[in-house]
Formats: sequence, C-alpha cells, structure tokens
Amino acid sequence: MAELWLALSPLAQDVITLLALVAPGLMVGVWVLRALQPGALVGALLWRFFWMNLMFVCLITLSVGLGVGLLAQERGLRQGSARAAEKFDLIVAAPGSEVTAVLAAVYLQPSDLALITGAQYAEIAAAKGVAFAAPIAFGDSYQGAPVVGTTAAFVAHLAGALAEGRVFEAHEEAVVGAFVPVAIGDHIEPAHGMAEGAEAEGEGNGGEDHGGHEGFHYTVTGRMPPTGSPWDRAILVPVEAVWEVHGLSNGHAPGDDRIGPPFAADLMPGTPAVLVHASELAANYALKSQFTRGDLMAFFPGTVLAQLHGLMRDVRAAMSVMAVLTQVLVTVSVLIGLMILVRLIARSLALLRALGAPLRFVFAVVWSYSAALILTGAVLGLGAGWIAARVISAFVTAQTDVLVTAVLSWPEVHLVAGFVSLTLVLALVPAWLAVRRPLLTDLRA
Amino acid sequence: MATPALTVTDLVVTSREGRVLLAVPQLRVEPGQTLALRGASGAGKSTLLHVLSGLVRPVAGQVIWGDTDIAALSEDTRAQFRRETLGLIFQDSHLFEELSAIANAALAQAFSPRTARAGIRDQAQHWLENLGLGAAGARVVDSFSGGERQRIAVARAMATGPRVILADEPTAALDRPRADALGADLVRLAADQGCTLITVTHDEGLAARMARRITLADGRIVEDSHG
Repeated sequence: MAELWLALSPLAQDVITLLALVAPGLMVGVWVLRALQPGALVGALLWRFFWMNLMFVCLITLSVGLGVGLLAQERGLRQGSARAAEKFDLIVAAPGSEVTAVLAAVYLQPSDLALITGAQYAEIAAAKGVAFAAPIAFGDSYQGAPVVGTTAAFVAHLAGALAEGRVFEAHEEAVVGAFVPVAIGDHIEPAHGMAEGAEAEGEGNGGEDHGGHEGFHYTVTGRMPPTGSPWDRAILVPVEAVWEVHGLSNGHAPGDDRIGPPFAADLMPGTPAVLVHASELAANYALKSQFTRGDLMAFFPGTVLAQLHGLMRDVRAAMSVMAVLTQVLVTVSVLIGLMILVRLIARSLALLRALGAPLRFVFAVVWSYSAALILTGAVLGLGAGWIAARVISAFVTAQTDVLVTAVLSWPEVHLVAGFVSLTLVLALVPAWLAVRRPLLTDLRA
Repeated sequence: MATPALTVTDLVVTSREGRVLLAVPQLRVEPGQTLALRGASGAGKSTLLHVLSGLVRPVAGQVIWGDTDIAALSEDTRAQFRRETLGLIFQDSHLFEELSAIANAALAQAFSPRTARAGIRDQAQHWLENLGLGAAGARVVDSFSGGERQRIAVARAMATGPRVILADEPTAALDRPRADALGADLVRLAADQGCTLITVTHDEGLAARMARRITLADGRIVEDSHG
C-alpha cells in the first residue's frame, strides 16, 4: 500500500489527501440534505441574526486565516532562505561554526570570522575541479549596506548579466545590488563595520566626508538584477580594494594594478570565506572532503540550512497542531454559541415541526445553518490567510532582504479542508440537540 | 382524499406531575363539521386541539382520524399525518418575518416530497388570491398588518390541501372587524373544500359561525350544542 502511494505523483497524492479530508464532511452533508431544500429557511434565519452570524463568521475567518497564514509563511521563509543560498555551492572558511559562516558569507550578517591565509586560498583555487574560487571579504559598509570584496567571476555567478552598467574593472569601482539606493556614477565612501549607526560615511556623489575610510571612494559602475537575497542590498567591490583600504597589500605585486585572481599567496592578506564553484557538480563532494581538515572547514550552505530546517521541523509540526487546535477551539465556541442560538430559533423550528416537517428536515435546517457559517468563515479565512501571508512576507523581506514569497499551497488547502470536514461533523451536535427540544413548549414560547 | 371523521375514545392527558389535564370519554366529529371549542383559560381546549393534531400524546385513549389512530403513531409519522391531512392555524400567525407572503404560504414545499412542491406553491398562490392578498405575495411579511398576517397563515394551512383545519384562537389578536372577516373566511373555505373545521376560541362571534360548540371545564366536556 505504501509503495502504491509513493508511486503516485505529488499532485495525485495531494488530490487524494484532499478528497479523503473532505469526504467525512461531504458525506455528512449529503446524508443530512438528501432530497431536502432548507436553503430559503436557513437564509431567513441567517438574516434574522445577521450581526451575531457575522461575528461567528469573523471568528472562524480569523482562526482559519491565522493557521493558513502561519503555515504559508513558515514555508515561504524556508524556501526563501534556501533560494538565497542556492548560488553558494561550497564555502570554505577557517574552522569554527558553519552556521556563523553561512550567516556571514551567504546572508551577510555581521560576524567575526578567522581568515583563510593566502597560501590556503591558493591551494583551494588551484585544486582539481575548481572552476573559480572567489574570496568573500566583508566588514565594511556604506549607509548600512555591506561592502563585500570579491571577484568579477563571483558577480557573474551570483547575478548573471547585470541589470545596468558593467562589472568593476578597477580598484575604485563597485557593482551594487538591485535595491541599493545609489545610481550609476555615484561615488560612495565605505566605513568600518556593518552596523548603520556605527559608521560615519560621506554622502553619495560629492557628499561631505565624515570619517570612515577617509578619502577613499568607489564609483558605482553597475547594478545587479534582483537575486531575492541579502546581496540585493550589498555593494560588491574588488577584493583588492578592501585590502588596500585597510592598509594591507592587495594580493598582487607592487605596481600590478590588475584585479582578480590569481593572487600571490604571500601578498594576499587573507579572506574570511571563499566561495568555491566546481566545474562539475560531483566535484563539490571531493572538494568538500579535500578541504575539511584541521586548518579549514568546507561545507555546503544548503546542508547547513537543511539541518537548521530539520531542527525546526518539530516546531513546524507543533505550529500546525496549534493552528488546527485554535481553529477547532474557535469552532467549538461557535457551535456552543449556535446551541444557544438554537434556543432563539426554537419557536421557528417548533413551528416547522407542528406544520408537519419531518425531524430530519429540522435537523437539516440547523446543520445547514452551522455549515453556512463554517464554510463562509473557512473560505474567507483562506483569503485572509493569503493576505496575511503576503503582508508578513513583505515585512520579513524588508527586514531580512531574503525574498520571502508565501503563497497558498496544498498544505493550507488540506488544513482548511480538514477543519471544514471536522467541524461539519461536529455541527451534527447542535442539530441533534435542536430536534430533541420539547415541541409544544417551544411553540408556546 | 376524503375528509376523515374524528373518533376520540377514553382520552386522558396528564401533566408531568400526573394531574389530569384532559379526560374525554367519547367524542365524534363528522366529516366537514365546523366545531368551536370553548371554555375558560386552563379548561383544556387548547390541550384537546394539540392532542387532535398529534402535538401532544395522551397517556391513554385513542384519537382516530378516519382509520388512523394518531396517538399510536411515531413522531415522524404524526408529522407526516399533519402535513398531509391537517392544516394548523395559531393565535399568533407564526410567520417567518424575513420571507415573503408567498414563501410563507408555501412553507411546506421545503419539507414535502419533490413531486408535491410545485403543487403546494400553486395552492399557496391560489389561497393568497382567494384571501385578497394575491398582489402582495412578493412582499416580506413584516410589512403586513395583523389581519393580513393571519390570512397568510390561513393560506399556509390551506396550501397543502388539508382535510381538517385546526385553529387555535385564530381571531384573538385581531380587532372586531378583522376577526369577523377572518371568521367568515375560515367558515367559507372549510365549506368550499369540504373540510372539517375545529377551532378553539373565546370569540363568541366566531363560535356562533360554527355548526357545533363544545364547552370544556377542568379538562372535561360540560356542554355540547349544535346549531
């Protein structure tokens, strides 16, 4: 059975799961409503208690929206963070925390990493299967945007063709991320550190100097297209310039003004991390093995992320359960409210029974009443969840620069389907209680 | 369907505490007869009407309409009997305020067999017209006067083609002219359709229109007069 299930396409599995979730509620509906037409009466009763019903629907909408939004957001964040790291095949750094190295080298979060020496870099760059090895040197910033020293090959690897201008070709040139608020031709002065408030830099294009790397300016020559990663707000410069601005040698012999590899091992000051791009996918594993040793660590950022996501799996599961529980609790509250409401409509129900309506019809009226509230709330909740996911995504993207695109998918549809099905079954309770009420007492009420 | 005769035998209805609310050893109502049930409040006339309609089950005795002992039926079968044979009218018209006059008059189509639904709608429209409300069928009933509302309730009772009309103080909430008009309508409809009409009433004017008047006191029939 399990093999048969696994042999199905993901779409088929999702559709079958949906049908299985919907089936109990659907079967209850068919059983309750067979050959009956309670629609007009249900509509009349819904209208009679419009504001109370609206409140019930809002409660269901909020609880469903919350659950849907949370699930979609969690997945969006996971996918966004993975997408932001997908260009980073293999990172080599000095031994330490892989997570810290990923946060620093991939997500450009401020941190202090030990440096890889020029000799180590040279060994990495020359290793068999390496297409290019790009130093990633960070620590400076401009108006809160990290200034990262690297190579032109890395720029091409990260963003492909530039959206505007050209890649840097000289020490004082820079390529900016898609959302860095400077224009081609602007001059920018980098400052020490990455915190916005800790720096004091000049304004773009002829602004007044306030310190930092005084007198050193980059000229913006190009802009990358959006990558959906923190690199959209980064400024990429030749790594040589980063070294020079700190008063270090630039990796090349004195008088040699070219930029990019090869670097002279004894003249290279070192770099916190190196992005290694292998000529073939399989070579990545050999390179990882080769550079995982006492004085270096090599790792796949994707693997580190997968481990982090794995740690969060239990949180995700707990969140899903909490989302469902919240919805069920709200619905139980609504159903209890409906039981109270049944007392208000008891006279109308008694009238139906007095006029000869079968108990099944009265049962169907009350169940349909509940079902109308549940279905309306669930559908609106799906919409509310979608809107919430969009809003939170925009907020998270603005805060982290990781492009989070939370869209509704099968898990949310399954969640809502399960919720609707369960509550439609629970709605049998107030219906059952309604038909057990004393007819004559209610008729005289 | 022919109008059934009513035969009540050794009927006893008690309260939960066991107090006798109604004790009727023998009562027969011929098909097509018009009958007023009179008496002081608490005399048992509404209880008798509820027993005759199957809304209350007696602790003893038989309530036989034609050849059907309604007291012996299950709740759903009694409901079916009411739906197919009886037309009920209440003191308060008991309408769905949010629905139109025609939707109220045709209420039974919602819970009747599919094959009967169109006929009920047609009958509802017919009786609204017969009672002078044909042009107002689409209006929501909360805009109608008390007399008009009660006529809608009469149309609702007639829409299923009942053989017996059971009315519980149908004119109590109306002023004299409207009460007289409604009383006249009820008697006319019953006569036209060959229906039995049994009404509980304190309204002497309505009672006077009936061919027979029964007076109850303390749950017992104390007077039964004809003419």
